[in-house]
Amino acid sequence: MKTIYLFILFVVLALIQLSVPATMVFKNQSVLNSGTAYKFRTRPIDPTDPFRGKYITLSFDMNNAVTADTLWQNRSDIYVYLKTDSLGYAAVKSVSPFKTNTDDDFVIAQTYGYYQKSNVIDFMLPFDRFYMEESKAYPAEMAYRKASRQGLSNNTYALVYVKNGYSVLEDVFINDVPIGTYVELQKTTD
Amino acid sequence: MSTKFINTLPELITNQIISEDTALRIERYFESKEAEAPHKLFVVFGILGSLLIGSGIILLFAHNWEYLPKMIKTVLAFIPLIIGQLLVGFSIFKKKSQTWKEASGVFLFFGVGAAIALIGQIYNVPGNLEGYLLTWIALCLPLVYLLKSKVLVILHLVFATYYTCLVGYFGNGQIPWLYLVMLVGVLPFYYNVIKNEAASNGFSLLNWLFPLSLTITFGAFLDVSSSILYLVFILFFGLLYNIGQLPYLKILKLRKNGYLAIGSLGVVVTLLLASFHRYWSGDFNYEYYSASNFYVPILLITLTVVTLVYSHIKDSLKPFNLFRYVFALYLIVFIVSSYYATAGLVLINFLILGLGITTVKTGVDKYHFGILNYGLLIITALISFRFFDTNMSFVIRGLLFITIGVGFFSANYVMLKKQRSNQNKSLNN
Repeated sequence: MKTIYLFILFVVLALIQLSVPATMVFKNQSVLNSGTAYKFRTRPIDPTDPFRGKYITLSFDMNNAVTADTLWQNRSDIYVYLKTDSLGYAAVKSVSPFKTNTDDDFVIAQTYGYYQKSNVIDFMLPFDRFYMEESKAYPAEMAYRKASRQGLSNNTYALVYVKNGYSVLEDVFINDVPIGTYVELQKTTD
Repeated sequence: MSTKFINTLPELITNQIISEDTALRIERYFESKEAEAPHKLFVVFGILGSLLIGSGIILLFAHNWEYLPKMIKTVLAFIPLIIGQLLVGFSIFKKKSQTWKEASGVFLFFGVGAAIALIGQIYNVPGNLEGYLLTWIALCLPLVYLLKSKVLVILHLVFATYYTCLVGYFGNGQIPWLYLVMLVGVLPFYYNVIKNEAASNGFSLLNWLFPLSLTITFGAFLDVSSSILYLVFILFFGLLYNIGQLPYLKILKLRKNGYLAIGSLGVVVTLLLASFHRYWSGDFNYEYYSASNFYVPILLITLTVVTLVYSHIKDSLKPFNLFRYVFALYLIVFIVSSYYATAGLVLINFLILGLGITTVKTGVDKYHFGILNYGLLIITALISFRFFDTNMSFVIRGLLFITIGVGFFSANYVMLKKQRSNQNKSLNN
């Protein structure tokens, strides 16, 4: 093949390679800039990803809903429509296996269990990873445990921006302090 | 190798084996050959350097520099990617050497991985490791063809295998079909290497990596009953062996033919494991009905028959080699054993013994000590394994082991003598 054709093909490939991370940036930044912020109550634990680093997995309190639909399949999309409860945390307004015609904010979660007797559907929210500086992920889990022992209710939440079904996790807070800063404060007090 | 040979030239001249003129011509031949070949060390260091720098960048990014503003981290994510792209673009446009192409390709490979990883980290993009690896591999596959890079094929295979293990062995038990797509993606390139670059080191490496990757990932595709587990593995290794016997690969030395080595070893080990009484008595069986109980063996048998027919057309089935037909023989044993379990047990022992004896014979015919001892090892393993099944007395066991040991010595000694007498004959002639 002629060098020029080879080069043109490479330029096309290079643009595709660039477009993937660039699209990720634009999509996520747009949600952060103009999406609505919700606080999801959560509990963190820390695993590792060999390429993207240490993170905490978030296990959310909001993980099921009562539903009138009966034909649920495991590991399929579920549209979770959101509202804010009296304490300012995110709560389920309604769930549906398909997109409904309302102006409410929603996130697309994954189903993992349906209880026919109680009409309850279990789901996993998509934003379950929060990447942290490598030395802070495990102390973050410990800090959460300590804080939850001290407080009467779960005071750890994830701040998530939602726009057109797309969600971006901006930060995780313990007692309204960003978890990274909270870990540092704990270190200095200890 | 050539330096060693050149060093022996004075001795050959002194003993009047070759003339001084011939020695000079031999020396010049090796000198010109070395001048033409690219500096191998340079290639290796170029690739190794890119590999280390690339993975180093990914690790640095993985630390998660939380004090840096989001904007700076985002710009940083694109820098290795763009540098890699500029280097690859330069190598293609300026028609640089293969060393340049391989090294820049490897750097770009890691540049792509680092960019997606860091952006994913900055925005806490959901998604597991499998999805991330898949995007990375797919974005770099075309580079293999644009740069004609064997190192990128190796990286592609390694990462595809990693992906398959995560999905198939550590995930939710899903069958990783996309592995097959990834494999097919590099097959045209591999075929081209087989056709045109059969002498290169990269080719030998690929001949090991392809069967190794297949062997590692094969289990991830299985959702079969334990009763046919050994059958599918013997069919699989039998297929690998038959691929290694295809005309293009058959002519290679064993160290360059991973299909043959892995296939042969796999067949022997699986047969030995299957030869235990406990397996045939049915203690081990766990019946599980799924479609793959049928289509996996049928697919493997069909592929093996295709390789045999192709070899027959290309006239490369001779000399007779029992390993090539193990799949069919084991199938017969398997069918017989479902009616008469004891007959199956006896037949499988004879099959292993037959393989051992034919291997010893091949070793003797080729004057190859490696093959001879491999054959003897198969027989030894068979006899040793039977001790676990039977209640033989220690005296008999001891005597049997001594007999095997004597057999080892005498077989090697006889062959060594035979080889020496043949050498003497050819020298006298």
